[in-house]
Amino acid sequence: MKQVLIGVVVAGAMAAQLAAHHSFAAEFDVNKPVTLSGTVTRLEWANPHIWVYLDVKDEHEGVQHWQCEGGAPNTLTRNGWSRNSLKAMEAITIDGWQAKDGTKSCNMRAVKLPDGRTVFAGSTGGDNPTPKP
Amino acid sequence: MRALSASRVAALLVVAFVGPLLAQAPKEYQPPSGPTPRTAKGKVDLSGVWQKPYVPDMTKDGKNQKGFPDLPFTPWGEHEWKTYDAAEGDYTGACLPFGMTRSMNTPEPMQFMQSDTYLAFLFEQNSWFTVVPIDGRKHGDGIPTWFGDSVGHWEGDTLVVDTVNFNGKTRLDTIGHPHSDQLHLVQKFSRPDLGHLRYEVIVEDPKTFTKTWSNIRTFTLRTDWEMMEYSCEENNKDLWEGRVKVPKYKP
Repeated sequence: MKQVLIGVVVAGAMAAQLAAHHSFAAEFDVNKPVTLSGTVTRLEWANPHIWVYLDVKDEHEGVQHWQCEGGAPNTLTRNGWSRNSLKAMEAITIDGWQAKDGTKSCNMRAVKLPDGRTVFAGSTGGDNPTPKP
Repeated sequence: MRALSASRVAALLVVAFVGPLLAQAPKEYQPPSGPTPRTAKGKVDLSGVWQKPYVPDMTKDGKNQKGFPDLPFTPWGEHEWKTYDAAEGDYTGACLPFGMTRSMNTPEPMQFMQSDTYLAFLFEQNSWFTVVPIDGRKHGDGIPTWFGDSVGHWEGDTLVVDTVNFNGKTRLDTIGHPHSDQLHLVQKFSRPDLGHLRYEVIVEDPKTFTKTWSNIRTFTLRTDWEMMEYSCEENNKDLWEGRVKVPKYKP
């Protein structure tokens, strides 16, 4: 069973680079990095951001329902993502930052896929080569 | 047959095992090469789909971007900058128009379509556009707008687009550098070759800055990209679920 892992990940200056639609600071807290390992329940592939819904087991064997936003579908498409990149029931790990309001919402920086590859999930602007999921 | 030295064996192993991995690395896109294209009337043709550097902070340098590190704020501008908190209101999160500089700063590409009379700025970000007369006419006297009133003229092979009459409701960049309704932008476009566009934006705003400042960028022609639809309102959960606030504008 997957466990909730809320710990320190590399945060810092990259955080502000991730949100192209709105300011990162408008919604997310750079001081609340999260690492979430769980099971994909749904992927919403629409502008202005994709949303990944993730069920994460907590230490009491309960389930936390998280939702995490990624980059815009347009930019992610040009970087090799598609609406089929993540499927329901897949086990993944998301690195990102939690919303300031404390809800189980996060901004994704990277997603570790079932085959072990880690892909960038934010808006790179097309400047940086991104591993294809 | 001469025995292989250890160093040669090592080199061959590198070629045999590392070589294929390198060959699989994604190739960096290279735009087509060639001379500056021109219209039938001899003007530089800026048309094309352009990849722009993402500039969330206009004070910073980046790939294909030269920023302006120390902004010359007036006391009013300094106060606006130091008191800005995006968590108290981010108009872009509400899908309101980004305005000219913040649209030019986005990571999404833009397309230019040009005639003798007009240059159309087609932004993929939120599928917005602005159409600029480039026949040398003067500014009109319309109501202030999010993108301002733009007119263009040619200075040799450089198109100079002059924009005024902003409504003052936007920010210059994602990080939130301020401007006022006195903002005056001068954007200079030239195309040194087929695959590249040189872009300079000069910011003048006597209410916010004590002197003008600029950014200089290089755009890359993307013959492999088509413009895509971008509906900002389609799934704007950040706003709907209350995590992003709309600024309180004075009517």
